Formats: sequence, structure tokens, C-alpha cells
Amino acid sequence: MADGIAVSVPASRPALTRPHRRIRDTWSKSLFLLPAILFVIAFFAYPVIKNLVMGFQSYTTASFYTGESPFIGLANYARVISQPLFLKALANTLLFTAGSLLGQFVIGMGLALFFHRHFPLSNLLRSLLLLPWLLPLMVSSTSWKLILDKDSGVINQILESTGLAGVSWLTSPSVALTAVVIVNIWIGIPFNVAILYGGLQDIPEDLYEAASLDGATGIRAFAHVTWPLLRPVVTVLLVLGVVYTLKVVDIIIGLTSGGPANATQTIATWSYQTSFISFNFGEGAALSNILIIISLVFALLYLRVSRRGVDE
Amino acid sequence: MKKPSPTTALTCALALSAALALTACSGPGPATNATPDGPATISILDWFSGDIDHEATQKVFDRCADAAGVKLDRQSIDGANLVQRVLQQASTKTLPDILMIDHTDVPQIAAMGALRPLTDADISSEGYADGVVSSGMYQNKLYGLIPNTATLSLFVNNALLKEAGVTAPKTWDELKSTAAALTHDGQYGLGFSAVADFQATWQFLPFFWTNGADETDITSPEAVEALQLLTDLLKAGSVSNSVLNWTSGDVREQFVAGKAAMIVDGPWDIPVVKSEAPDLDWSIVLIPTKNASDTSVAPLGGEAWTLPATSADPAHQAKAGEVLKCFLGDDSQISMGVARATIPGKTTLKDEYLKQMPDMATFAQQVANARSRTAKLGVDWPKTATALYQAEQLALTGQMDPADALKSEAANLG
Amino acid sequence: MTRTRTRQWLHTVVGVIILAVMLFPIYWMVNVSLQPASTMLEADWFPFTPNLSGYITAFHDQWGHLLTSLFVSLGAVVICLVIATPAAYALAHFKLPGSTAATFAIIVSQMIPAVVVANALYPTYNDTGILDNYIGLMLADASLGLPFSILIIRAFMASVSPSLVEAGYVDGASKLRVFWSIVVPIARNSIITGGLFTFLFAWSDFLLSSTLAGKSVRPVTLGVYQYITSYVTDWSTVMATAVLASLPALVLLVIAQRFIAAGITGGATKA
Repeated sequence: MADGIAVSVPASRPALTRPHRRIRDTWSKSLFLLPAILFVIAFFAYPVIKNLVMGFQSYTTASFYTGESPFIGLANYARVISQPLFLKALANTLLFTAGSLLGQFVIGMGLALFFHRHFPLSNLLRSLLLLPWLLPLMVSSTSWKLILDKDSGVINQILESTGLAGVSWLTSPSVALTAVVIVNIWIGIPFNVAILYGGLQDIPEDLYEAASLDGATGIRAFAHVTWPLLRPVVTVLLVLGVVYTLKVVDIIIGLTSGGPANATQTIATWSYQTSFISFNFGEGAALSNILIIISLVFALLYLRVSRRGVDE
Repeated sequence: MKKPSPTTALTCALALSAALALTACSGPGPATNATPDGPATISILDWFSGDIDHEATQKVFDRCADAAGVKLDRQSIDGANLVQRVLQQASTKTLPDILMIDHTDVPQIAAMGALRPLTDADISSEGYADGVVSSGMYQNKLYGLIPNTATLSLFVNNALLKEAGVTAPKTWDELKSTAAALTHDGQYGLGFSAVADFQATWQFLPFFWTNGADETDITSPEAVEALQLLTDLLKAGSVSNSVLNWTSGDVREQFVAGKAAMIVDGPWDIPVVKSEAPDLDWSIVLIPTKNASDTSVAPLGGEAWTLPATSADPAHQAKAGEVLKCFLGDDSQISMGVARATIPGKTTLKDEYLKQMPDMATFAQQVANARSRTAKLGVDWPKTATALYQAEQLALTGQMDPADALKSEAANLG
Repeated sequence: MTRTRTRQWLHTVVGVIILAVMLFPIYWMVNVSLQPASTMLEADWFPFTPNLSGYITAFHDQWGHLLTSLFVSLGAVVICLVIATPAAYALAHFKLPGSTAATFAIIVSQMIPAVVVANALYPTYNDTGILDNYIGLMLADASLGLPFSILIIRAFMASVSPSLVEAGYVDGASKLRVFWSIVVPIARNSIITGGLFTFLFAWSDFLLSSTLAGKSVRPVTLGVYQYITSYVTDWSTVMATAVLASLPALVLLVIAQRFIAAGITGGATKA
């Protein structure tokens, strides 16, 4: 069907010169993209630029009213980086992000593969899996706080009934970050499952049949059929996963407010508190800009990988 | 399934856009001022989105609006976003005519130049508790007043105390021994909020101030002693380490469930405890002081009402002032105080208020001595407040001893 | 045949167990919401004597807000997909100059903290008069899902074989026709996924609703604050509201998930 058999162009079409056609062609192609670009610029350009500039300014509550925000160069960045909390928050951020992504992706992939084969109720069960995502974060974090409470939480009750000691999930500096990561993984699994499942569904069945004829089933089929075809989807998922996870604030604040003693303080939560609780918007912007720089590294990696993919 | 042609799809999309565009015309824009003829509209912004608070205050506003012959346009948003909304409105010059903010934010907003002094609207601070007056001042002018205040005291579970054979503590030593006596299987002697935000600071201040420490120097020996008290209580096991994550609401739940025999809490929880545990035998006492002869000093809490400098029209400003003056009137303070379980800001109303709310006696006493958090530090309070709760968390988690914790946080303040 | 059937049911059992573990916190929340507030700490494992007062209150107060949420979220999905799908196609198949920059810009837009975006939009919304307005909130909520939708649909479309597309052009069809008749049906899964997530983002959005709307346009994420006073939160009603709010969204999700059909086999697609 698609063998490049030429079909004659109807005579009613005006004859266009080659450069004209190319320009018109590019223009009509751009129209597909234009609304999106305009939208993104309208909604996101101003915040990005404003945040960037604010990092270099002394911006306090007064600045909102008077509009005055003196330029102070790199002073905000210097101040923020020189604080002892900086390295801790940075480490927490990286651990939180890596841990969350690993957990969400691996479990998400496992669940997507599990639900890939159809069995009774699989559709319903798969839809119900999205429930954690439907709940307001405030409600999810309260629920988890109750469950993880050291004294009366369900998890410790179960542990203690089997003879193990209860754990100070959210109130021990050594455990709190792990607990918060676990909750974040729980929240992120539905997102991963839904996307990976969609990706798996798009892989034609006959490819698996062909592979099994060659003797490749199970893990080998996964490695040779599933994984290569899923790669574009996985790449988007991981990059967006990193970008979104770096920004997470609500769930951490809901569970521990960044404590105990900054054990769960990430750059994102610190930035939020600096701006909106201590009213030091310049430093808060500096912190979120640092976060953007970290995200940019991953974004550039993604572009490198996906460009290769498109050319393949 | 027959696929629709591109033209059909386009028509549908256009129809939908038209429908959406029509809805764009609905919905009013930001509150406007007076129409040329007809009563002025006074805009109000506050955080009383909860039913109880909203209704109690709305009743008063409606009455005052009638008296002043104006209409009201009130918006009550959720507490966490109030300051952001105020800042947004400040930058777009759309602040409301009457604005409620947490009183600790008054210096910040006043420093912006966005508020006008209450005295311009003929509202005086006479009769108010000292803490209320000092919290509303900025550069010697009065910008905000608190009609309903709150503070902290100690709730004690009488039944559990009787069982352990102890009485409500008055001094720190008594607190330690009583709490220890009350701690056994699944029950802790004392509970308070030490979560990593201003709630921890708020609950730490009674011990801090009563001991003579001052927010201008958080490394003083008195400050260290206060923090040492809490640390010792935790180390002795009388306090659960879950306090590091408990909000003040969580602490109340512990008390209601009988898991904490004594808690630091405020008057707003009295109706809640009564409704959740109607059979509980409990009472309220002053927060223990180091020595029996010291005065118990607790922090002042409550929302301040202010008048932003919005309209250039003096008649409009006068109307807004009139409404607010009525809102802050004696009757309103009492009616709102009863409905919201908070104490009237004017100490002169104490007796009449206690006639209706006898349970509040201890709190009314504590409010008279309550101290404003921003009186000395003004716009620099948030930084110190943060340093205090960070130090408390460091000490309670055992990562640093109280003296070092306070010193290291104080160093960050510079 | 019976062996495969048994195996299938075994999968169902495992599926239910997995779901039980995953949904336990939600179960706990529903459990607490059905018991009186005072027992939050000591709630029974099962609400033996369910107390529906929270649900009755929530339904009575919030059904209007639920409708608002529904209307706004669906509007956001429509706006988002109408803009995102052609853009994704262009990025995946047209080698336009600046495609890489556009993709990069789209990803960068996701790096900004939501609160910064909300605050930055406020003055613009104020000046153009779309504060507290359905269209305004729909546009803002569309922005939640747009970058994500573009990227995910692009990823799926990138795997559509170019030869299928070429065939369309060879037959003399316009770009729009090829897009609509060939590419969109094939990429249906990804479009539905993008729409699904935009709906979820919009449905659960609190920040943009609180900043850019709230008075006449009040979705359920804001409505729940009726039960949260300055000092006390009525958790059983709050949780009842959250559960009620999840139900319409869940119904829509189940329906939408049906459409994520099995893969391409010889060009046939399930209806």
C-alpha cells in the first residue's frame, strides 16, 4: 500500500514555484504547533523570567506594594549556598527524587505488565488503581500521618502484634526521609502504571507472536520487543518524573513540614518556606532557580536521547 | 464507528468555543467601589472559610453594614493562601476596604505602606489588652486590632490525675514529676506540638517567656533552660517523640483519646473537647512557671483587622472605617467570642464575657498577661520564629543539646 | 481450557490483593470518615456502625462545587487536547526548524514551582478581567496538562510508522486530513491518556483555583474549606467530601480506560 506509487496532482491546483511551496509548506506545518507555543509562552514565559530575575533581587513583601526590588547580584545565591542547610537539603532532594522515581517506575512497570494480560475484572481493578491520584493531597497526607503514627498508627500496630518494635516513621531523623519517599512512591505509582499500560497496549501482538516463534518469551521477549518499543514513552516518563518530583512540596509539608530537624527538607520545600513563610522572595527564587538548573540537566539528557530516537 | 469528517469536527470545535466564550462573560471581576447612585460596596477579605467562624462574623458584618447603609462584598479564602492573596492584591492595587490578617503579619503589611492607621477612622485601642495593642503597632501608629484573641494554657485530665494520685502542676519541677507519674502503657504525661512550623514556636513561647528569656537573644541561659525542660521531659519518656510531628489539632486528639494526660492547648478547643468527649472530667490551669512566684506569660494569638489604604475617596474610606468600628464594638466582640470560643480583645469586657463562658476564666486571665510575638522584632519575627522551632527540633531529636542548638540557629539568623 | 481460566482467575485474586495493599490508606480514610471524629486515633478496623452524617453534610453542601469542578475540568481537557494533539504531531513528524527548542521550552515550563506560576498569572488575569471566571480557570487548568500531554502524545506518535503517514499524502490529502483521519485514530491511546491526566490535574487542582478564582467559580477543592476553621478541622466531613469528590472522576476514568484498547493489528481498531 505504501510503496510510493506516484499519483498525479489534480490540474485545478495552481502551479507553485518550489521555494513558494516550501514556505507555504513550512507555514502550514507551523500552524499545528503555533497555538501550543503561544499558550506556553503566555502562561509560562513570564513566571520563568520573573523567577530568574527575582533571584538577583532583594524582594520582600514591601516590593509587592512599592514595586521596588533592588538588584543585588549573586548575594541571594551566596547566602543560600553558604548555609549549612544547603548541602543537607540538596542531598535530601537527590535521595528523595532518586528513591521516588526508582520505586514508582519499577513498581509501575511491574503493575502495568501484570495488568497487560486480560483477566476478569482487570479493567476495573486498573481504574481503581488511579484512586490515590484522585484524592486531594491534604487528605492523603493526613491519612498517611494517621497510619504512620508511632503510637497509634496502623502499621506500628501490625508490627507490634508480630513482636517487632514500632518505628518512629515520621519523627525519627533517620527514618523520616524513607517514610516520605514511600508515600511519594505510593502517590506516583498510578501515574506510571497508566502511562506504561497505554504504551504496552500500543505494541502489536504479532510482534510477540513472531518473537515467541523465535523462542523468545518472558524476559527475553521483554528485552527484545517490549523495552525497545516502550523507550520513547519511558524516556518521557522518567524525565517528567524527575522534573515533577524535584518540585514536590505539598506531600512533604503535609507529612512532616520538612522536619524533624530538616530531615525531610528538600530544596523545593525550603524554597517555599523561604518565600511564603519568611517572606524572603529573593532567596526563595534563588533556591527554585537552583532546582531549575538541576532539572535542566535532565531535560538536556532527554533531548539528546529522544532526538536519537526520532532519527532511528 | 464512522469517523466524522474534518469539517464536522471543526464545526463542533467552533461551537464548543462559542459556548465557552459565552461563559467567559459570566462571573464578576474584582470587587468594585460605589456605583454612582446607590449604596457603596465595602469589600472584605479574611480567612474565615470555615462555617462556624464565617457565620459568627457575617452576622456582625451584616448588622454593621445595615447601620452604615452600605453593601458588603466579602471573600473568605483558605488560611494558607491569605498572605499570598494579600501580596497579589497589594501588587495589583486591588486590596479590599477591610482586611483581616494574622496579627503577626501586621508589621510586614504596615511596612509596605498599604495600611492606614486605625486612629484615622476614629478607632481607639482603649480597653484592649496590652499585648493586643502592642501587636497592632508599627512605628508608633496603630494599624490593627484583635477583637477575638486566644492564648495557651494547660488542659489536664482530672480522672487520670486522680488515678495517679497527683494534682495539676504549678512549677516546672512539679510538671516533670507529674508527667512522669502519668506516663504508663500507652499513655503519656504531657503532649504539645513541636511540628516543624510556627506551631512549635507558638507552644514553646510560654516556657521561653515565663522563664525570662527574650526573643531578641535566643541563646540566653533562660532560653536554654526552657528548651532543656522540654528536652528532659522527652528524654524521661513523659512526652512521646511523636510531638515532633503533631499539629495542635493532633495534640487535642491525643487528649480526647486519653493518650496524653496533660496538653498545651487554647480556648478554641474547649467546645471541641466537650463535643468529642462529653464524659471527660478535665480542667484548665495556667501553664507551669519555673518558680511558684513567677507570672505565667503566654503568647497572644488572634486575627487583626486592618484598613488598607485603597480608595482615594474619603467618603468611601469613612464608610469602611465606620463598618470596622462597629465590627470591633463591645457587643460584637462578645458575640463572636462566644461563637468562636475565643476571648474578647478588650479586657474591660472580661466579666460580661465570663458570664456567658465561665469555662474561659483561666484563659481570660492568661490573655491579660499575654505577650505579642512581634512587639519587639516587628518584621524580623518570622526569622527568629523559624530559628526557635528549628532549635527545638534539633534538641528534641537529640541531635544537639539545647545550648548548642540555640547557638547554631542564632548564628544562621545573622 | 479450564486451566487457562483458573490461571486467569488467579490473576484476578493477585490483582485484588495488590489493589487492597495499594488502596489501604484510602480505605482507612473512608473508614475514619464513617466514624465519629473523636475516634480518629482509635478508629475500628471496620466501620461497624457507619455514621453517614459527614456524607450527608458533604453532599448537601458540595454538589454545586462538584458540578463546577466537573465543568471546569472537562473544559480544560478540551482546550488542552485541541492544542496539544496537533502540536505533538508537528513535533513528532514535521522536521520544523525550532522543534527542539520548542520541546525544550515545553519541558522547562514544567520546572517552575506551581506556586510561582500561580502568583505570576494573577496580575495578568486581573488586568484582562478573567479572575474568578470559568474560562480563566479552564485555561489555567489546561496549562497544567498541556506540556505533559504534548510530550506524551509526541512520544506515542513518534512510533507511528512514517510510511503510513506518507501514504495519506500520496493520495493527495491535506495535512489536516492526514492528521485527523490517520494519525489521531492510531494515537488514540495517548490522546486519551493525555486527556485523562489533564482531567485529573484539573480536578485535583487547588492552587490555581485558590489563586485565580474562588468566589463565583468554586470547585470542590476549595469547597472543602468550609469544614476547616482557623483552628479546628472537621475531618470526617472533609474526608467524606474527598470521597464524594473522587466518585465522578472515578466513573469518568473507568469509562476512559475502556478506550485504551489493545494494540494495532492490521489497521483494525476497536470501537
